[in-house]
Amino acid sequence: MTGGLQRVASTILLVGVSFLLTALILWVSGYRVGDVFSGVIQGSMTATGAATSSIRWAIPLLLIGMGVVIGFRAGFFNIGGQGQFYVGACSALVVTLGWRGGPAPLVVLCGTLAAVIAGLTWSLLPGYLRVRFGTDEVLTTLMMSFIGALVLQYLTAGPLRNPSGTGQTAASERIPEAFRITDSSGVSATVLLLVGGVAVLVWLLLERTRFGLAMTLVGRNPTMARWQGVDVRRVGLVNFALSGALAGLAGAVELYGPAGRLVTGFSPEVGFTAVVVALVGLLSVGGTVVAAVFFGGLQSAILFLPIVTDLPPPALVLLHGMVAFLVTVKFRAVRLRRTGPASEAPTG
Amino acid sequence: MTVPSSPASAGVPAVRCRSLGVSFGSVRALHRVSLDLAPGRIHALVGQNGAGKTTLAKVLGGLQAPDTGDVHIAGREIPPGDVRAARAAGLAMVHQHFSLPPSFTVAEALELTAARPGGRPLYRRNELHRRWRDDVAEIGGEAVLSTRIRDLPVETRQSLEIVRAMAADARILMLDEPTALLTPAAIDALFERLRRLREDGVTILVVLHKLREVAAVADTVSVLRDGELVLGPNEMSEVSQGRLSDAIVGPASQADRAVGVEAAPGAEQQTLLELARVSSRASAFEPGLGGIDLSVEAGEIVGIAGVEGNGQRSLVSVIAGLNAVTEGSVLLGGTDVTRAPPARRRRRGLRLVPFDRNSEGISRRAPLWLNQSALRLIGRRRRRLPLISLRQYKRQAATEMDQWRVRYDAVTQPAESLSGGNVQRLILSRELAPGLQVLVAAQPTRGLDFSATSFVRRSLRGLRDAGAGVLLVSSDLDELFELSDRVLVIYGGRIVAGFEAPYERRAVGDAMTGARR
Repeated sequence: MTGGLQRVASTILLVGVSFLLTALILWVSGYRVGDVFSGVIQGSMTATGAATSSIRWAIPLLLIGMGVVIGFRAGFFNIGGQGQFYVGACSALVVTLGWRGGPAPLVVLCGTLAAVIAGLTWSLLPGYLRVRFGTDEVLTTLMMSFIGALVLQYLTAGPLRNPSGTGQTAASERIPEAFRITDSSGVSATVLLLVGGVAVLVWLLLERTRFGLAMTLVGRNPTMARWQGVDVRRVGLVNFALSGALAGLAGAVELYGPAGRLVTGFSPEVGFTAVVVALVGLLSVGGTVVAAVFFGGLQSAILFLPIVTDLPPPALVLLHGMVAFLVTVKFRAVRLRRTGPASEAPTG
Repeated sequence: MTVPSSPASAGVPAVRCRSLGVSFGSVRALHRVSLDLAPGRIHALVGQNGAGKTTLAKVLGGLQAPDTGDVHIAGREIPPGDVRAARAAGLAMVHQHFSLPPSFTVAEALELTAARPGGRPLYRRNELHRRWRDDVAEIGGEAVLSTRIRDLPVETRQSLEIVRAMAADARILMLDEPTALLTPAAIDALFERLRRLREDGVTILVVLHKLREVAAVADTVSVLRDGELVLGPNEMSEVSQGRLSDAIVGPASQADRAVGVEAAPGAEQQTLLELARVSSRASAFEPGLGGIDLSVEAGEIVGIAGVEGNGQRSLVSVIAGLNAVTEGSVLLGGTDVTRAPPARRRRRGLRLVPFDRNSEGISRRAPLWLNQSALRLIGRRRRRLPLISLRQYKRQAATEMDQWRVRYDAVTQPAESLSGGNVQRLILSRELAPGLQVLVAAQPTRGLDFSATSFVRRSLRGLRDAGAGVLLVSSDLDELFELSDRVLVIYGGRIVAGFEAPYERRAVGDAMTGARR
């Protein structure tokens, strides 16, 4: 598998180049690059609570990223994770606040289920349009994300707004402490077990079931899959449903875990970063876990840096964007090379 | 209107070419083709698929530079592959596939794509319509100018292509298979237009597939076979249909001795595949099926002959379950599967060798083992746990590929790394695995070299002898005659004739070209 090694190496190289470019821009702008990068190390690993914080941010990235991996496997560019994540969190919140007297395990279970179903529905609509009418899912899933963000805004600013809230942004009431599955650090054995279990299940589905192989076949060549008797539409629908379910689940974990309430526009980029996570993870389950932890660390560092340097918070988003940019370019280039006229070349 | 002929142009052929040769790699598309086309007449060019008709038209039109030989248009030599020079000399082409932008209105499309002199960069709508009004007089007048191309019926689009070609005052018009998509009535209208153009002194070269159409419209006919001009241009009055058929399909080859094939010993009569009055909708490229009756018994190879585009694709797709049946029923092994999804038909033992092996038969980027295992993904589940062992899949794929002598290095290499013959072996290794009842093989040897071809043919015969049913769709008559117990001819989505060995090539050829119905 030298091809695989090569791909891993080139991705690591890309991330390295992104760091260099970011360093260059920071240096040109007059910041002390050494301080910034030691801040990154502290903020993501060595400072008190930094490692936990990295994991906390990795969790939603990982769950949504798994959905992206599943989508890509069958050839779908489902980038609506953000909206699916929001409606998932919203549904869990509605269930929880609506049934706050219920027994904690049952309420959390129902809330999580509601989140999964909501995310699934949010994804299935563009999915149906895609398999039935060939509507470009990049556009529809993206648009659904905006609607999802508006749903969140409506709920937190409207019916579920905490009337005694003092913050500048609208937020919901807190859910009762008994329903939380982590403290505010966002990491607990339950959550780690859940996320680990999801990763294993997704891996088994993609790599060790006939349905997973059928998805691969559809992703590589839907025409051939059709001739082989694979129900391409069904595969597509299930695929979208799974992606959405995972993003919805991430929403529930966010609510019951670190957040405890929903704030308008919380984690505004997690769904899109998850796409980059999946791409950096080479669209494999294992790679995505690693990439999620890496980007989780980055997110943690972004929040930590203003404490130790004079760097404004958006400065590190630059690094983020750089990685996203380079990885996307690489991905598109590979795709073009494969589908372009020069596709006669044997293995790449 | 009289034919404007100056003394200088009298007697000069409208199109003349000398010993044209074109090769694509090892394939000889044209070989020493020399042709003179007299001005002011309708010339037909006929031949089987791959005979070189389109290549010849492209070379004459300057779209393809020949390897050898030269082209003169109206007495002027055209530099090889120079479209503009060919156009300047008065030649216009109408291609096989429509090329007008679908979202444009007729007026916009004409202005954009037709080489009419005196254009301006900006127009008001009325001005634009005035500029093109006269040209579309015959196809609906001014009203049609504001219609979008995509909303036009096929025959109007076709006419529009001619309007566009003629807009630059062309004196020579070439049409590549203009009738392929038209209904009989539209074909008549098209021919009427061509005749009127001839009255105006335009020279026409039209590539046709069907002899009846040639007889209906052409003044002279030329036949290409395997890239060589084997007949013509001859006056239509001088050639019989029989001679034309012979020229098109070639001299009797060995297979013509029609050995036939002895019936598989001891195979009991059992109908494995049956189509009863099956109809389907037309696609963009093919007529639909019009009430097809067909059966394939155990231990028999039934050949489907026909000029491509006469419903072969629809037929195979309907059997595979990829196209819906509008009427009639499809039976596999006696069970009605008319509404069954493809997977259920596959489980009932239907196996397919699709037309285009690289896009329909394999997934080029997927690894060999996955390509080979595709049918196992839809088989019935035998175990309770859904988990599978990839190692077992890979091992089984390797075993089956080895049996069929697919040459590869590793089961994980992508299928695109295989040669054409190897790809076909891979497909056969998958489709001919145990469980097969009926095989539908579409163009199974197209593009394969000699040894791969004979391997595939041996495999099909072996299947038949083992008691399976085979439906063989092919445009290679030799192949059909060599392998088939019966040959049915498909024409315009219908089975128009049936033959049994010994086959009479001319009769089959006549049926294929619609000369006999």
